[in-house]
Amino acid sequence: MEETILRVKNLTVIYHGGKEPAVHQVNFALKRGSSLGLIGESGSGKTSIGLAIMGLLTKTATIEGAVYYQGTELGSLSVKERSSFYWRKIAMVFQNSLETLNPVLTVGEQIEECLRRHTTLTRVESKEKVKELLIKVGFDPARGLCYPHQLSGGMRQRVLTAMALSCDPDVLIIDEPTTALDAGAKNEMIQLLAGLHRERKFALVVISHELPVIANLTSRIMVMYKGKIVEEGKTKDVLKAPQHTYTRGLINSSPALNPYRDLWGIPGAREEATTDGCNFFPRCSQRLESCKNIPPRLEDVFMERKVACHRGGIVTLLQGKGISKSYRFKGKTIMACVDCEIAIRAGEVVALIGESGSGKTTLAEIISGVLAPDAGEVFFERERVSGHNASARKNGLQIVFQDPFSALNEHFTVEQAVREPLEILKLGTLVERKALVKQMLKELQLPGEDEDFLMRRCYTLSGGQRQRVALARSLVLEPQLLVADEISSMLDPSTQANMIRMLKGLQNTKGFAMLFITHDLMLARKIADTIYVMRQGRIIQQGPVSGAFSYLTVRDGSRDTLIEK
Amino acid sequence: MDKRRQVVGKLKFTSRLALVILLVVILFGLGADLFAFHSPQLPSGPALEGPSRVHWLGTDDLGIDLWAQICQGARISILVGFGVAVLAGIGGGLIGMLAGYYGGCIDRLVMRTIDLMLVLPDLLLMIVLGAFFGPSISNIIIVLSLLSWAAPARIVRSRLISLKQEQRVTAAYSYGAGFWHLTRYHFLPELLPLLMVSNIKLVGKTIVAEASLSFLGLGDPTAKSWGIILNHAINFSGIYFTPYWRWWVLSPLVALTVLIAAIAVLSRDIEKIINTKI
Repeated sequence: MEETILRVKNLTVIYHGGKEPAVHQVNFALKRGSSLGLIGESGSGKTSIGLAIMGLLTKTATIEGAVYYQGTELGSLSVKERSSFYWRKIAMVFQNSLETLNPVLTVGEQIEECLRRHTTLTRVESKEKVKELLIKVGFDPARGLCYPHQLSGGMRQRVLTAMALSCDPDVLIIDEPTTALDAGAKNEMIQLLAGLHRERKFALVVISHELPVIANLTSRIMVMYKGKIVEEGKTKDVLKAPQHTYTRGLINSSPALNPYRDLWGIPGAREEATTDGCNFFPRCSQRLESCKNIPPRLEDVFMERKVACHRGGIVTLLQGKGISKSYRFKGKTIMACVDCEIAIRAGEVVALIGESGSGKTTLAEIISGVLAPDAGEVFFERERVSGHNASARKNGLQIVFQDPFSALNEHFTVEQAVREPLEILKLGTLVERKALVKQMLKELQLPGEDEDFLMRRCYTLSGGQRQRVALARSLVLEPQLLVADEISSMLDPSTQANMIRMLKGLQNTKGFAMLFITHDLMLARKIADTIYVMRQGRIIQQGPVSGAFSYLTVRDGSRDTLIEK
Repeated sequence: MDKRRQVVGKLKFTSRLALVILLVVILFGLGADLFAFHSPQLPSGPALEGPSRVHWLGTDDLGIDLWAQICQGARISILVGFGVAVLAGIGGGLIGMLAGYYGGCIDRLVMRTIDLMLVLPDLLLMIVLGAFFGPSISNIIIVLSLLSWAAPARIVRSRLISLKQEQRVTAAYSYGAGFWHLTRYHFLPELLPLLMVSNIKLVGKTIVAEASLSFLGLGDPTAKSWGIILNHAINFSGIYFTPYWRWWVLSPLVALTVLIAAIAVLSRDIEKIINTKI
């Protein structure tokens, strides 16, 4: 049971006429009864792997590397020898579409044809077998006389599955088993495949961009981007804690995994990828200049997890350890923070929620270096935060305050206010500074081109406008981490909604991480990846957004009041 | 410029009048030689004369024109008043700023010194220091400055501490702003109006203090300040035998009172305007 039945070694596929390989140096091995999921955006090379294993690309592409079936290298065999392996040993369920099935044969005839070609069954036996197969995949045998165009998408998918199972293969490759199926049919299909896999013990490869399908059917997962494997690991772990920015982007884009959150796709490329460097470089939120030139290798980052990233996966941008802070007040000691631990990874939105007075702002100020903790340390990019060493620089850490009225110097003009950090840090020439200010204001949906607006004094602006000017002032330094302390709580609901969407949009395109502090649970749920819940100075709960909320609503009754607020 | 016009526009009638008086006194003080027609040092007529067309306010025991002396005295009052205000205002303001900005040890030291300054009896100390340093205008300015920096320092310190708590200052600090940037863009625009009010008050106080010192004979005898005129008048042993003494005593007294009253009215009104946000 434990022997490896399929091994793919350094598989590279270059389509004729294409420059970039569709599949690049892919390695994996499958044991009997095991399962593997392949995920990735369209065009990432998932299907090409399946087709290459099935030997269907020999005419249209150059294939390098080797595919072994129980020690036999399939590429070295003659066409005739090879064909004895396909369907009987390795079968593939093609992506469901009308074109996949022969339109002039009934579905029953097509399955029978497959059986007759690859097995030694007689006509009568094969007719029986077809019936049996159709029942197995939950298809009414009487409808075997239908033509493909007379069937619905779900039924055609069943027919395709029956066809692939017809010769009892040891390896089953399924390409997008559930696309174009409605929710009910999708569930049935997943149940069916899971049942068959349990029963027949074949090795299963599921190719899909739908994460719930992969999550339900496979135990291991590989994430593909532009033909390369960028992350590999146990399905459950990878989906719970992705280590590559691309994987995280895919997970964040899945409505099924994020039932409450707003959906944000991975932003498009900001520039062309270089041929030498990391493929994902143009879209990565934690890239370094060196990523441009050196391709990353798929390497172990910890047990059962491989990531192709120069930075060893998503880096932890900020780490707070054992942070404590107390205030003395009329002889009483108020513990604002007690032994708080917090970690923020690059490009991640972390929400810190809690009631008023739970110590959120104190923690935020300690993290940004504005306030010194009594005990504990904060590290930003592995460097200890003290004073303004993390914030007084480009690509550092910035904080935006709750009260837009106190956060801006009222006598400053809008331009002066946004330009202030550039001036303090002496970045760029006067012309460059002005251009940057204008661009930043435009990105925050303020009339940056309007000279009159630039010359307006801050006290003439509304609260929403001021908060945006304050945000522009922080973002002009292109921070890697933005600490947003209740930035929307003083705004009306409509302004708040606009502001949050805009901010989240900017966060998504620019890729900075954000610590979003709020007492509004619903809001946190809309935008956060991870949440920390604070109460009386302690962090009482942390985790991915969905998990933490179920805890809040079910386990701890008092948290409901927070939700009610 | 706009702002100054706004402030002037908001002044009440009384304080506009006060402003005019102040400006006139400054004008007469600066142009003493132009407006006096007679020498403030040399006799220019008979002694102890009442007001006439030649001598507007009469003459003193030596026949020196009183109007010329009053004009000369205005110059000294203005010089001492504003000199001390500037010196004590800037010095005290700076000390207050440093104490408020750096806090801790410096703050404690400055605050205790200020307490000490406030507790010490001003006039007594002034007399002692005046006698010690010797009578001259510059010494008087220095002595008075030493005694009056505490008030502006306190005011500036307390405002600075509250300014430091404001998030715009925290934000600027987080971008790496140092003392100079913060002072230039965030502190000074807020502190200057406060300092202005406190300094105008200080001008009034100082003028009175200088007059008191001079009256007591501790002023610069060569400088004809209003206090010295009064001192001379009172010390003239024959003063009560002539009917003219009242002109001699009255004119410096009235000049002093009018100027102080004008400054007091003006400072009160400006304070009101500045306290409500413009």
